[in-house]
Amino acid sequence: MFHWLEKHPFFFAVGVFIAIAFAGLVEILPNFAHSSRPVIGTAPYSTLELAGRHVYIKNSCNACHSQLVRPFKSETDRYGHYSLSGEYAYDRPFLWGSKRTGPDLMRVGNYRTTDWHENHMKDPKSVVPGSIMPAYTWLFTNSADIDTTYAEQLTVAKHFSVPYNQDVPMKDGSVKNVKMAQSLAEAHEIALEEAKLVTADMKDQDVKDAVNRGEIPEIVALIAYLNSLK
Amino acid sequence: MNKLYIGGAIFIALMVVLTYLSVGTSKGGFNGDIVNMLAIAGAIALVTITVFVVIKYVRQMQQDNATGELANESWDGIGEYKNSLPTGWAVMFLLTMVWGMWYWTIGYPVNAYSQIGEYNEDTAVHNAKFEVKYKDITGDRLVEMGESVFLAECKVCHGINADGIDGKAANLNHRLDAASVKHVIENGSNYQLLGSEMPMPDRNGLFNNNTGALITDAEIEVVSHFVANGMSGEGADIFIGACSACHGEDGKGMEYVAPNLASFTPALVVNVLNHGKKGIIGVMPKFDRLNDKQKEAVGAYITDISK
Repeated sequence: MFHWLEKHPFFFAVGVFIAIAFAGLVEILPNFAHSSRPVIGTAPYSTLELAGRHVYIKNSCNACHSQLVRPFKSETDRYGHYSLSGEYAYDRPFLWGSKRTGPDLMRVGNYRTTDWHENHMKDPKSVVPGSIMPAYTWLFTNSADIDTTYAEQLTVAKHFSVPYNQDVPMKDGSVKNVKMAQSLAEAHEIALEEAKLVTADMKDQDVKDAVNRGEIPEIVALIAYLNSLK
Repeated sequence: MNKLYIGGAIFIALMVVLTYLSVGTSKGGFNGDIVNMLAIAGAIALVTITVFVVIKYVRQMQQDNATGELANESWDGIGEYKNSLPTGWAVMFLLTMVWGMWYWTIGYPVNAYSQIGEYNEDTAVHNAKFEVKYKDITGDRLVEMGESVFLAECKVCHGINADGIDGKAANLNHRLDAASVKHVIENGSNYQLLGSEMPMPDRNGLFNNNTGALITDAEIEVVSHFVANGMSGEGADIFIGACSACHGEDGKGMEYVAPNLASFTPALVVNVLNHGKKGIIGVMPKFDRLNDKQKEAVGAYITDISK
């Protein structure tokens, strides 16, 4: 048979292709498995949450905080269920981080609250004595960048089929429909509506006033993002 | 031919001398140190074997002639001898194929290591140990466990002393603040602190039976301080009139109806841990990932420190 193959280059090439394609299949096929699809309960980021994610990246939170709970008893006791690959479906880029100077934030929305984050960002030592995290006071005055956020939403919805304006299944059997605006002006409106929900639980009067004026301080967006991490 | 043997002998001697110089003169030398002895023995063996193998093949290259039956094919004038497979190689090849089939069908899928599998086993072992060790603890030991859970999970908001860090969270050293009581009277409550009771109405549903009218601002102020003071001071009559129907005359609550306002109870704490709550200060998230014993322990601890 090998003599025959050596005399027929075309069929030899087909054989080589099959051998190499098999190796490719072994690597490619698992990506279509159910377990690597978005986990049920994972929804795209809303406009304000995505703006908060930009604030998170801009301030390099991921340099000190990971977003990856490893499957160890000590970690799941502290942070909750270990991370699943399908939970990062809408993270572009993912923010696993490489070092934990501070604690993991993968599920921080489950056990910290809006007003706690507010106190903590203003003065970390006021709630965590001995904390080495710096205060992030400028978040209370800088405005979140909704324009870039909307551009990102449009891009990922169009090119990566991120299911905005579609029903996404949640863990309790319900569906969640994350709104994406049809115009930039509407994106600002949607973000502002979300911001009002966050500031309802906040204490800082300057931030509340800013939101009532129609501005969105970065802290509001960041808290919306942190609360969405579950 | 003789040159080969002489060269090989010189090479062996040279390597042995070099080994001696580097090892034999070091601390301990060959006498006191078994590792040095082994090193020199290994070095001699390696060098000798290498020299003999090299000499064998060099001689073969010098002396051998090509013999054997040629295969039919000729590739641009280059022929190939028909050599049968070396037996040892052929056997290993077949064994590798058998092993490959075993590994593909059984070896990997059935016996493979899984990080999640190890996690599940670890967790099961830990939980079983926890269950055995802490199943029957009560009293002070339960309070101690509650304190350790509190320091791990709760102190970040409620503070190390459970004082709420200057109003950033509820002060758990006493049952209620006047501001909280006032907030609940004015806005009602649907926290289900007992798990299943009816929601408490807001001020538009609270009648003071003493006056036969809705509770007034002044009365709310007075009764809030009465409850916050641990059911003492001015305002007992208002409490009897407006609150005691559900919360009991002593404020200790009624099962399935209304929670205890005089002191924390373990059941109340466990319910807050299970469902979270939203009050005048803000939202408390639920901590239902604690196990039942840990929740019970936190309940015992809070009850203990708020006495």
